[in-house]
Amino acid sequence: MFGAGAMTNSIGEIRDADFLFVIGSNTSEAHPIIAMEMKRAVRDGATMVVADPRKIWMTSIANRHLQIAPGSDVWLLNAMAHVIIEEGLTDQAFIDAHTEDFDQVIEAVKAYTPEAAEEVTGVSAEDIRWTARKYATTEKAGIYYTLGITEHTHGTDNVYALANLVLMTGHLGKPSSGMNPLRGQNNVQGANDSGATPIFYPGYQRVDDPVAQAKFEEAWGCELSPDPGMNLNVMMKAVGKSIKGLFVMGEDIVLSEPNVSRLEEAMNDLEFVVLQDAFVNETFRYANVVFPASVFAEKEGVFTNSERRVQRVRKAVDPPGQAREDWQILIQLANAAGANWTYASSAEVYDELASLAPQYAGISHARLDREAATAAARGAKTGLQWPCRTDTDEGAVYLHQGGVMRGKGLFQPVAYRPPVEPTDEQYGLVLSTGRTLYHYNCATQTRRESGSHIKQPEAFVEIHPADARTRGISDQDQVRVFTRRGEIQVRAIVSRQVRRGSIWIPLHFGEARANLLTTDEGDPITQTASYKVCAADVAKLDSATADNVFPGCHYAVDGPGGHHG
Amino acid sequence: MNPANGHAGKVTLQGRELPFAAGETILDVAKRAGVDIPTLCHDPRLEPAGACRTCLVEVDGWRRMPPACATKAADGMVITSESPKVERHRQTLLSLYLTDHPTDREASEKGAPDQLLDMAEQFAAPTDWGRMPLQRSGRPTDTNPYIHFDEDTCILCARCTRYCDEVEGVQAITLANRGIQTTISTVDALGLLDTTCELCGGCIDVCPTGAMGEKKPLVRKDKPERELTKVRSTCNFCGVGCQLDLNVDPDAREGHGRVVKVTSPAPGSTTNDGNLCVKGRFAYDFVHHEDRLTTPLVRDANGDLQEATWDEALAAAASGLQGVVDRHGNDGLGFVSSSRCTMEENFLVQKLSRQVFRTNNVHQCAAT
Ligand code: SF4
Ligand code: SF4
Ligand code: FES
Repeated sequence: MFGAGAMTNSIGEIRDADFLFVIGSNTSEAHPIIAMEMKRAVRDGATMVVADPRKIWMTSIANRHLQIAPGSDVWLLNAMAHVIIEEGLTDQAFIDAHTEDFDQVIEAVKAYTPEAAEEVTGVSAEDIRWTARKYATTEKAGIYYTLGITEHTHGTDNVYALANLVLMTGHLGKPSSGMNPLRGQNNVQGANDSGATPIFYPGYQRVDDPVAQAKFEEAWGCELSPDPGMNLNVMMKAVGKSIKGLFVMGEDIVLSEPNVSRLEEAMNDLEFVVLQDAFVNETFRYANVVFPASVFAEKEGVFTNSERRVQRVRKAVDPPGQAREDWQILIQLANAAGANWTYASSAEVYDELASLAPQYAGISHARLDREAATAAARGAKTGLQWPCRTDTDEGAVYLHQGGVMRGKGLFQPVAYRPPVEPTDEQYGLVLSTGRTLYHYNCATQTRRESGSHIKQPEAFVEIHPADARTRGISDQDQVRVFTRRGEIQVRAIVSRQVRRGSIWIPLHFGEARANLLTTDEGDPITQTASYKVCAADVAKLDSATADNVFPGCHYAVDGPGGHHG
Repeated sequence: MNPANGHAGKVTLQGRELPFAAGETILDVAKRAGVDIPTLCHDPRLEPAGACRTCLVEVDGWRRMPPACATKAADGMVITSESPKVERHRQTLLSLYLTDHPTDREASEKGAPDQLLDMAEQFAAPTDWGRMPLQRSGRPTDTNPYIHFDEDTCILCARCTRYCDEVEGVQAITLANRGIQTTISTVDALGLLDTTCELCGGCIDVCPTGAMGEKKPLVRKDKPERELTKVRSTCNFCGVGCQLDLNVDPDAREGHGRVVKVTSPAPGSTTNDGNLCVKGRFAYDFVHHEDRLTTPLVRDANGDLQEATWDEALAAAASGLQGVVDRHGNDGLGFVSSSRCTMEENFLVQKLSRQVFRTNNVHQCAAT
């Protein structure tokens, strides 16, 4: 592909785009502010195509809605590539100058005719052709995608298939034209960039590269392990086996990991667990030590957003009681374990990061503060976008200007692989999960919020009227949703928002945890678990059972009935 | 807009010759030149409405005074934005608006600063022209948790309804009724929760008088916005990274401060262009929630989590983790950090894992 997994364009470029291809992103709910920019582009005449199994808000203003079968993205994208190649709409000059291995993609997509794609994806061949032509022939054409496309066992395939479209049409290194993953959480980008990953030191320097290892050994005055570590999905599977102790900061792993029941069992086999969090959470049952930590309003630091923009987080109030800022706790823990860390401020921590990761070298707390004060007058925006290598470097608004960053963009042929868990007689529906506007991930924050609670007080499953009818389910019924791994009880919303054969559940509710249902089968390359697709079915509950406690309710953070023990 | 590209001509404003780009309004040119023209119904995110007429200026050779916000600059225009005529006109207009608006700040300014009163003060507009009986109706039965509409202080500039339509794209609120009964309402005067409203709070942000206001601080009787300290920060929810202002009452919580509300910075110099969504603007109650952890906890011999001192907890954690290393080797440990935490904190977790405990088993949760 072409390097760093960040947006190649900036959010501010969206409004100037002429074509927007939005795939697997429920933008108006997951990224409302990006959706506003898209709405503005559409208002100004841009064409928008939304590929999503559900009728989401964005489809109401899209020129076309490609209502694809869940998990069939590769078919759709390869068929688009097929059309672009067949009709000679590729950007040959760009391909020659900046890419490698295009031949392999030509070969790989030959069989993916739009007609065949229609069979698998449910999207008409005409829609596929139209979208492919429109994308290839519009100069300012951007692709926007999010978890929908990465949280699949085929997540990496999907991303490669998208990158192939970008490279063959030369839609890169230009304003409003590029490939834009929209990050789910505030600092996903920054956490990756700062080395919270098993294979990279800060700044994407590989732990198994002897040069990088030597650099960090020198900086930190110690020997470092050259063995890549476990990524989260692998680590969670190894809990209780080779992993015997855990340190967890700011996450409720028991609530947010897929296939939770297996993890809960394994957690009992851990010998020592340290948690650092601002709130009580479900993982507490396994903790040996708990550190009371801070929320963003109580600490100094930076977040890096989806468009690689580094921005300041500032302390506005003191944490409650004895709670401390997370960075302070980490220093104290390191020193209790024998280190000698002497950072006096989070700015000093940042400075060490910047001295080790060249793409951050030009940015500092002081520069961010200084330039924020004059941003309005200069007509600039607050924050700096990496790469920003020196004090005078203005940062990169869009990536790959004048060529592909890593030298040559690599085409990666991908083939469709059927979902790991096909439907069958017992589990006849395809379950996907996702976010809604009013809640956020495990909802430890938003469920403490009156408004979100009023709009969406409880968990639900969306089911198509035809599927509801064959199961004797009516709107608002209490139902059981079950997979090979577990079951939960929720309310049914009968709606044409979902395709026939598919159901959808939001991710945020502790007492009906969708993650009891999902599979932890990971993507072969990134090991991102497939939250999105698995086989499931739904059955109506009789009224007696419906009044019982929700299954899976060991501990509800802030459930409808107040606090559960 | 950069006048260097698409340079379309020059105007003279208050005696200064200024270049402009195609499509720019008189107000755009003035803004760039640092010439202050007061506005009420204008917002850079919205199509110009030219409705309130506070921005009227004189243009040589024009019989009527045009609104600067809605009039395109044209080559050779000679514009006067400060003159006795403009001033007289502004005063009259502001005094007229005040016949349909409380003039007492205490009564009118419940939350956000009232810009109409500010302007009346700034331009010395008479405030004693009497008060018309109020004919606008509100929606007292609207039980939505966030947005309050005060019919008394609304001046019908329609910024809120235009924002709702043009920026948020949902048309939840509209101008309703006619003549002097015109008001801001919803279809059938429904509560916002029963409309297409997405609770973005943009209508609050654009309202110049505070007629659209945030309910929670009003209910809690917090200090008005004017007396709060604004701390610019970055939203902690999604990956857009909106800039927001935490409005803090520094005296609350015995001097430890309380976040009383969140407002958005002015449009233009932030990635979110002054917009926020329901989470960024309204979901701040968690900061001071009673469920917050306030003491370190250590599990005792009976298996119960007990309150402990920091020193005890830190020592217990360090020796517990070290014990795992002693028994199972360095790779017997795993470190999970969080995409919710800062760059610095993620940096320290991976350094803790790699330098102190010598394992690369470190990953952020939700690596998407
Ligand atoms: S909160 Fe947003 S969507 Fe709701 S009425 Fe106001 S502007 Fe419209
Ligand atoms: S509520 Fe505020 S923004 Fe809306 S019309 Fe009235 S004064 Fe203007
Ligand atoms: S600000 Fe120009 S007419 Fe209202």
